[in-house]
Amino acid sequence: MDVTETRARVERRQSLNRQVKELLVDRLDLAVDPKFISDDQPMFGRGLELDSIDTLEIAVAVQEEFDVMLTDDDTESLLSVNRLCDHVEAQVEADE
Amino acid sequence: MSRLSVAFEADEIARYLPHRYPFLLLDRVVDVEPGERAVAIKNISGSDPVFAGHFPDRKIYPGVLLVECVAQAAAIVYGTEAERQATSNGGSGDPATRVGYLAEIRQAKFLRPVTPGDQLVIEVLSGQRLGPMISVTGSITVGAERVLTVRLAVTTRTPEQDVKE
Repeated sequence: MDVTETRARVERRQSLNRQVKELLVDRLDLAVDPKFISDDQPMFGRGLELDSIDTLEIAVAVQEEFDVMLTDDDTESLLSVNRLCDHVEAQVEADE
Repeated sequence: MSRLSVAFEADEIARYLPHRYPFLLLDRVVDVEPGERAVAIKNISGSDPVFAGHFPDRKIYPGVLLVECVAQAAAIVYGTEAERQATSNGGSGDPATRVGYLAEIRQAKFLRPVTPGDQLVIEVLSGQRLGPMISVTGSITVGAERVLTVRLAVTTRTPEQDVKE
């Protein structure tokens, strides 16, 4: 993988992370600017302070936005924005 | 999934829901695809005791009860699914004990008031599931007019939960 390709990949990932943060804020009515959510900040407990009911809405949002399913086996993907984006990226690549 | 050929009359609805008077709201289920969708009917009557207080001089069926109608129709969707699963596992089980909790009400829009004489057609569509939670989309129409749209999160109870409780 050359430098240009790596850079393009990083940019795509950063854009995906931004998109996911905006999706979370929009769908869960979070009183926080998406820019202030960090990639590895925990989504539950301290961190974004989401609760178990929010997980269902995240699953609905991810399905609608990316056509990617979250199942009971994927709950670890809900730990942080990065984990969620890893899941979305992996599923999208698997579909391609 | 295949459609049930028989719709449910009020007495049979009581087999799927633990609710009773004055809170068993559905009158008839006209269409069910277990685990997928259901269509139910409720007739609004001026003799419903809720109108004694809501409101004494202006009878309007409470919006929160419209949301409850959708929740009860959702319980029919999962009750029929639980019953089908129990039957295929060789058990019987009371489907009404599978009804869980209303976990979230999202984006409820009350598009026009409901008054005595209205016949509600309540439609629910099951969506994404995660753990015990299920996302449900519901709408209610009166004639050609939509009176409610809402999204709910509901939970189902599993036999394992009964053991724990």
